[in-house]
Amino acid sequence: MATSSKRRLPIFLVIIAGVFIVFWVGLLSGSIMWTSDQPPLMVIPDMDNQSKVSPQEQVNYFADRSADRAPLEYTIPRYAEFYRATSIAEAEEMYSNSLPSSEWILARGKNRFETFCAVCHGAEGAGDGTIGERSATLKPPSLIAPGALTLGYTDAHLFHIISMGQNIMPGYRDKLKEVDRWAVINYVRSLQRKHLGEDALQQAHAQPEADMAMNEGEDMTDANAEGEQQ
Amino acid sequence: MFTRQIDKRLKTTFILFGALAAVTGLSAYFGLHPRVSDVGYRPEQPVPFSHKLHAGDLGVKCMYCHNTVEQAGHSAVPSTSTCMNCHTAVLPESPRLEQVRESSKSGKPIEWRRVHKLPDYVNFNHSGHIRAGIDCASCHGEVETMGVVTQMHPLNMGWCLDCHRDPVNMVVPAREISGIFMGMKTYEEVADMWANEPPTWGDGKWLSTWRTPDKRMLTWKAPSELDSAAIQAAMQAHEEGFLGVGVTQHTFLADGPAADGMSVPKKPALGPENCGSCHY
Repeated sequence: MATSSKRRLPIFLVIIAGVFIVFWVGLLSGSIMWTSDQPPLMVIPDMDNQSKVSPQEQVNYFADRSADRAPLEYTIPRYAEFYRATSIAEAEEMYSNSLPSSEWILARGKNRFETFCAVCHGAEGAGDGTIGERSATLKPPSLIAPGALTLGYTDAHLFHIISMGQNIMPGYRDKLKEVDRWAVINYVRSLQRKHLGEDALQQAHAQPEADMAMNEGEDMTDANAEGEQQ
Repeated sequence: MFTRQIDKRLKTTFILFGALAAVTGLSAYFGLHPRVSDVGYRPEQPVPFSHKLHAGDLGVKCMYCHNTVEQAGHSAVPSTSTCMNCHTAVLPESPRLEQVRESSKSGKPIEWRRVHKLPDYVNFNHSGHIRAGIDCASCHGEVETMGVVTQMHPLNMGWCLDCHRDPVNMVVPAREISGIFMGMKTYEEVADMWANEPPTWGDGKWLSTWRTPDKRMLTWKAPSELDSAAIQAAMQAHEEGFLGVGVTQHTFLADGPAADGMSVPKKPALGPENCGSCHY
């Protein structure tokens, strides 16, 4: 009896110890992972958390607890791009597309289009983006359909729409720099050229603006321009 | 000196204490390593936002919301207005989005909980990594598969250095879901580039950087290549008033010139050259 229990005890202990060691080594080496809602434990924080304000941090100094402050009224940040036009007519007067449609620019336009526009307008601009399918009210227009309004719009008009938004579409001037917006316009033109041909594009631009005028009542740029009035 | 019994007890005590000290020491030393203590941090956010739904299922690119990454050091958490770009039309009545609508109305930002936090003395710059074609997933894991974002990598200095010494097995080359601009290269070509011609220290710095008095950066290729055809073309394009928006940032790289102010990819290098590259 005594000898058998003496023999069994170490085996039992060895198994326990083995499991413990394997678990512990796995844990310490980071190969066993679990998730936690609690912030990581910091025993020696060094200077990890300094009393300075980093971008987008919460601070208690301001009522809304935001470290990022909007520029004062009637001011714009230095070197910031400032979109000046408040209407399509103004945009067409102020802006014109001077960006060449080089391969490089079109690659940039494609990248920006697929990032910011394709979610609604679809990767090829056919209005079949994934977001449109999720909503009953969202009907993003096709940019490459034969009668697409954008076909006849001037580049500056498109620039204004991208910058300030139109109907339910918000302005993207906070996400796309001016040069990127022109690149997107060049890319949209290249898509239209690809799907409808150069002739359709030329023809649409030859038409007088009056044909398009009936559609401009939908413009909501004034509502979107809030806060940028100078 | 001691009786046999006391001697045995002393031995047992020493062994027990020794074992305890060893376990405690090892646990403290290795267990508090960021790969154990930081990896797996998964805070619940005030709004139950799912990257899996938005990026994974709907294919919204990372850069749609985190749009500052290619130009700035800080990768911005999107403003509420970015949420409302879609959610004015998509699920406009959803009770889960109540806080988003409220924030949009009042202008008080939503207090998202930060998942990935570097120490305050580290100056990590997103733009350099993104423009070098290093995918978000290299450091953040495949966020498009995560319902709740979880920290997947330790993000400690040793881990940074591991990658900067031998990036090939650690870097995930730019993927389509990220929306990283790779010039005229396709994402497959970028992956090939990382696999076949990884960055080396070999031929010196690829880019050298100066700051102009007004603190904007001038980035060029290696000075020895300043007379190369690409630079000449870029210079000429600039002199011809390539784009008259009055921005004086010139960025040139191997593939060809871009317009003023346009973010362009850069050749990946092993960088950083010295301590000051990150801690300044």
